[in-house]
Amino acid sequence: MIPELLDPIEWESIVSSIDREFGQGIAKNLLGKLTPIALVDRNWRNIYLIPTSWMNMLFEEAPSGFDYHLLGKQLGVVTKDRFRLSLQILPDLAQMTSKILTVSKQGAESFTYGRSILKESVVYLDFNLQRNQRVLVMDTDFHCLGIASLALDANRVGRLKPDDLVGKNLVDIGWFIRRLG
Amino acid sequence: MKTLGNDGMSRKELREKAKIIAKEHEYLPYMIERYLALWGEEETMQFIEACDQPIKTSIRMNTLRAEPGQVIERLQNKGVELEKIPWLSHGYYADFEGHSTPGAFLEHMLGFYYVQGVPSMTTVEVLDPKPDETVFDLAAAPGGKTTHIAQKMQNSGKVIAIEMDRKRIASLESNILRCGVTNAIVLRGDAKKVEKLGLEPDKILLDAPCSGEGLIPLDPTRKTSKSMADIRFCATREDELLDAAVNVLAPGGTIVYSTCSIAPEENEYIVDDILKRHPELKVVPIPLEFGTEGYSEPFGVSLNESLKLAKRFLPHLHGSEGFFICKMIKEEST
Repeated sequence: MIPELLDPIEWESIVSSIDREFGQGIAKNLLGKLTPIALVDRNWRNIYLIPTSWMNMLFEEAPSGFDYHLLGKQLGVVTKDRFRLSLQILPDLAQMTSKILTVSKQGAESFTYGRSILKESVVYLDFNLQRNQRVLVMDTDFHCLGIASLALDANRVGRLKPDDLVGKNLVDIGWFIRRLG
Repeated sequence: MKTLGNDGMSRKELREKAKIIAKEHEYLPYMIERYLALWGEEETMQFIEACDQPIKTSIRMNTLRAEPGQVIERLQNKGVELEKIPWLSHGYYADFEGHSTPGAFLEHMLGFYYVQGVPSMTTVEVLDPKPDETVFDLAAAPGGKTTHIAQKMQNSGKVIAIEMDRKRIASLESNILRCGVTNAIVLRGDAKKVEKLGLEPDKILLDAPCSGEGLIPLDPTRKTSKSMADIRFCATREDELLDAAVNVLAPGGTIVYSTCSIAPEENEYIVDDILKRHPELKVVPIPLEFGTEGYSEPFGVSLNESLKLAKRFLPHLHGSEGFFICKMIKEEST
């Protein structure tokens, strides 16, 4: 894969996707003083954040015979015009957003095995969040376990039975283990 | 009559003895023959016995993700027994007895620790990377040493991790992401062509792909899976990799050469050759208390005396897999 600079339109689209889901200005905070670049793999565009000081090495002295696979901090991946956040960026994001669903110890374990979140596992959820909202799933020690999509408006959770679905698992840190079989 | 080994056996006696021991313990005879020549019969038998014992699981606390004290407390609360490894800053023997695999713990998924062999952790301690340096990790997958280097550098500077094997790059990337490493650049390519990167790193770790003769305690199939020709093949590749690495190392820079082989042909012989070709390179002492010294006269062949400054882990002496670690510096004047 060869590094590519992001054009402003693509970057704006990523910013808008992150800010829409997790709050205005979040993407800018995640970027900080880093520079976004892409590594392109067929239909995937892996987005990384790198120190500006790396730019010369990446673009002026591109080595022959070597293929880039990862650079700096992984922000996410663009597939078919849709942006998905990387697991690596989630601990940073957790410090910046209020779109959070806190789950019990049992719920945390279940979530990291790829399962979704049931009412009985919910410890905290902001009352104002709405159906389909992406939320960071946290354990009670404020460790980020992944991302879920709310299956219903948060203000309706109180009416659910213990085994009713609250959040659909979109990605979780168990992927690190499952990926390697 | 020419004698070999510590027991003063003739070549014929040594061969006969090796055949008998090899048959009894299911090794290839050439391996036992070499052990007898290196160590004598008593130590060879100790080695064989040690290779049948399990190696203690060890983990490295990942300070990029969590405070070690908190992780220790969490693991101990789950019944994991931890014992600090004296010469390692963040290395612990970990007894996960009665639990599922160490990789299935939530703390592992969160990147709070890395399951890693003691010798592997030791190589990075010996390299001693510092913040803001440029460090090459050649043959980097699955990423234990890359993530350790980044940890020691506190995610500053850059670690350039090179790996040839496409499938192994997946595990390298996964471990980098899990451990919160943000100063790594992963490149797929042949580390022998590292000069094409046009960089002069401050430090290089070459944990070279090897015959794995030190891994018998972890993989008993290694007793019979590799021939002397395999060792020679690996030695040629190791020599080429080390030569390429030394060529790009910055003057004043440090290189650590290591393998998980106990074969002198893949270790002391390789370093001895490189010292002859690169007079600017010097073996330097390793200021950590572990292992035993490298060999300067294996199989009766005289090598550079400074090879005694290298270190070896051996299953029968250290309860670990077999490993070789040599630290060298490239002198400034070059």
